[in-house]
Amino acid sequence: MDLLSIYNMKYKDYDIDHFITDEFFIQWIKNPNENNSHFWEKWMEQHPEKRPLVSKAANLIRSVKYADNTEFTDRMYVETFEEILKADNHFRQLNPISPTKISTTHTKKVNSFFPLRGIAASLLVLFCLWAQYEAINFKTDPEPIAEIVLVKRSNPAGKKSIIDLPDGSRIHLNANSEIEFPREFSNDIRLVSLTGEAFFEIEKESRPFIVQSGETKIKVLGTSFNVNKKENGSLYVALVTGKVSVDTQNGSRMTLEPNEMLVLEDGGAYRKTGFDAKEVIGWKDKYLVFKTSSLPEVRRKLEQWYGVKIELKGDFDTKWTYSGTYKDEMLENVLRGICMTSGMNYKIDKKQITLTNPK
Amino acid sequence: MNHNPKLPNTEYSTIYLLGHSESIKVYDSKPDLDIWNAFNKGDEIAFNYIYKMYVTVLFKYGCQVSRDHNHIQDCIQNIFIDLRRKRGQLNEVQSIKAYLFKILYRELIRKSNKSKEAVHQYPEKIPNNFSIEFSQETKLIQQENSQEKIERIQGAINKLTCRQRQAILLFYEEGMTYKEISVAMDFSEVKSARKVIYRALATMKTLLQTKSENEV
Repeated sequence: MDLLSIYNMKYKDYDIDHFITDEFFIQWIKNPNENNSHFWEKWMEQHPEKRPLVSKAANLIRSVKYADNTEFTDRMYVETFEEILKADNHFRQLNPISPTKISTTHTKKVNSFFPLRGIAASLLVLFCLWAQYEAINFKTDPEPIAEIVLVKRSNPAGKKSIIDLPDGSRIHLNANSEIEFPREFSNDIRLVSLTGEAFFEIEKESRPFIVQSGETKIKVLGTSFNVNKKENGSLYVALVTGKVSVDTQNGSRMTLEPNEMLVLEDGGAYRKTGFDAKEVIGWKDKYLVFKTSSLPEVRRKLEQWYGVKIELKGDFDTKWTYSGTYKDEMLENVLRGICMTSGMNYKIDKKQITLTNPK
Repeated sequence: MNHNPKLPNTEYSTIYLLGHSESIKVYDSKPDLDIWNAFNKGDEIAFNYIYKMYVTVLFKYGCQVSRDHNHIQDCIQNIFIDLRRKRGQLNEVQSIKAYLFKILYRELIRKSNKSKEAVHQYPEKIPNNFSIEFSQETKLIQQENSQEKIERIQGAINKLTCRQRQAILLFYEEGMTYKEISVAMDFSEVKSARKVIYRALATMKTLLQTKSENEV
């Protein structure tokens, strides 16, 4: 006899009391999964006369709720998480000999067995962390810390590159951008500093990965996201996977979900928006995307993408915008596309482009 | 502007990408025992998973015991800090949720009563603990069960003891099994969890019947 028929026999004579005390039934109502749904749906098919009873029992179960329904806010979520991780460091940093002192609420038995080797390792890690932090933040320091060898990669306008990091993470570095990272990451942290724009695909592991862009640090454990610091000082962080929370200088905090983008203005103001993936991160897959782009935007994008200089001749309508997507296209084809819809003319002279408006 | 490159800038805006969604991909279909063992071995992704999956329900559960949200937040923080420090020496856990509920409950009570004796008396001291709201969602049911009947059930529920309400909520609101309830409520035997539930339902039935007879 298979399981199903045993259950069938059992449930055939059920009345409501039986249903509301049956954990397998409650599991189906509260946490339906493939297993229990399959069973109960089939069972109901075979016992249609029990349907009213089942629905009555289900309603009773669903009606029992907590009277207090305070939400755990995103802010609390992040705050608590940070405090938990902070306590780790605190623990290692301040209490290498007597770890029990730090917390009055935790058992002593476990902590006193904390091995000396672990303490030494933690101190070493902390030292490396500090050393690397110093090395990256203060690169003008005349005496850089020995052992930390920094690698710098930069792209001029017109060039993009892919950089594989020692931990297996991959960085797509856009044109006009620069990235700096240690040849080998320390045991505790993966820190890189970015100028310009890059897309990060971070290998998940226990060491946090930190991107420093200007005065902002972006911390991740394993995720993919785009960071773009524009010339006007605005920072755009677009999240593809993972979870983000943001601490701004004025002390407020917000979280980012996948497919959300955070815009941090130079002055400290910030906002959250959705984003068009192709528009924001398409560049790494060689998509050149214009989306109701103004003429200055089009110009800046083309200059960065192809490493050219563009001169504008004549009067241009300030309300003019252009939308279009090109994949891995030659400059001439892009210019032809833009000019075809706008009535402009273009002239290419090596790296010097001239756009004229005959109107 | 910071003109001295040696001066550390203390006003960083910090953006944390916690990588929590990634942890879901890794651990979502794994049994609790495996996740717990990975956490015990120091796997941070496993920790992220546990945190992400349970911190919200833990807070909700805490709210049924205490009104002080900061206190609950502190207690949740403490139990996770404590678990992280004990990594490598943790016992096996079959149901992470039930285990976390158990230690949070203990922590909440221990923190609000310094003396150890109060631990067991505490739940009965505050009758509002584990208040249950009996409310029906769809209009259909409301037609079937009159408002009056719902109020009667609500009244009967409130006559239950605190431990009974706790068990009922773990059973119906959290969807825990008897085994999990016995862990969360610190019973040594699963049988005790069944008993509490059965007795609570029996009490309610009696209360409801007596009331309706009185009304007739």
